[in-house]
Amino acid sequence: MIRMPRPAIALVLFAGLLPVACGTVNTTSTRSAPSEDSVATNAQINDLFTEIFLHVRGVRKFPTRSGVLQAQVDVANDGFNTRGFSYLFTWQDERGNPILGPMHVWKTARVAAGGSITISSVAPGPEATDFSIQVRRAEN
Amino acid sequence: MTRTIASLSLAATLLSLPACASKATYIETGGTDSIVSVGEVDIQDLQRAASGMLESLIALGTLQNAPHQPARLRIERVVNDTSSAFDVGELTYRMREQLVNSGQATVLTAYGANAESPEAQERLKQEAFRRGETSVESLEPDFFLTGKITQLKRSAGRTRQTTYTFRLTLTDSRTGQEAWTKVVDVTKQGQKNAVGF
Repeated sequence: MIRMPRPAIALVLFAGLLPVACGTVNTTSTRSAPSEDSVATNAQINDLFTEIFLHVRGVRKFPTRSGVLQAQVDVANDGFNTRGFSYLFTWQDERGNPILGPMHVWKTARVAAGGSITISSVAPGPEATDFSIQVRRAEN
Repeated sequence: MTRTIASLSLAATLLSLPACASKATYIETGGTDSIVSVGEVDIQDLQRAASGMLESLIALGTLQNAPHQPARLRIERVVNDTSSAFDVGELTYRMREQLVNSGQATVLTAYGANAESPEAQERLKQEAFRRGETSVESLEPDFFLTGKITQLKRSAGRTRQTTYTFRLTLTDSRTGQEAWTKVVDVTKQGQKNAVGF
């Protein structure tokens, strides 16, 4: 039986996890109850590397001057390099159904190492009551 | 024997190479698999600009204060002052889709090749006047939408950077005053175009 040193095992595990981690998405949602029309889960961590270095520090939701809701999410970078990421806000109506349209687009942001930024989204209309956000590591 | 095996392995490797080539496929429009061009406006840039404009307009509630509900918009000239060739309708139609279909605004259109043009709407008014109709008031807008898209290009060594600035303004037709304005910047940097972001 071949015995591998611990650092080697860690390296093999790390190399094995890399292809799994690439291109996946983390999701954080303000809604705890599932949609009335579908069965859904609302917290998924598929990319551990993004979760380790980039993580959501705070989530706020409040009405704007017009009365429609605005979401603000603080994203912190605990890594040692500036990190870029893409994010997609999806607003949901009272019944938990997503509201799609021209405002439902992927955007990008960068966070300096050790810093944090606030990304935000305004709901497309007064029918929006909740939101979810998907965060994905940048390609480069 | 060894040489035969090596030759077969090499042949198998060469045969498998075409399978690795990138095949044409469908992607989500503006999604994270899109091409990112350093010196051109991409579809995701237009989507982000339209989304940023809409967020500002909806949050401030400017359209809610219009005398008519839904607010009447007339889309005037939006100038593309960049070296990138694209139709500014890609920006304004995305905004119209959200505002009109959600009942927050209506865009005044007449008919013809350019239904939004003031000339087409003036002709409609004249024809209504000739028929003795007085409903031409329905063609008077609450706001005029105008705008401009500009660019700033810079480089350092082989790295190029372009900032595209999208500016839109709503002017109150009764007062002539600016009722809403918004600037959305999109900055891209790199040495060459890339797939995905």
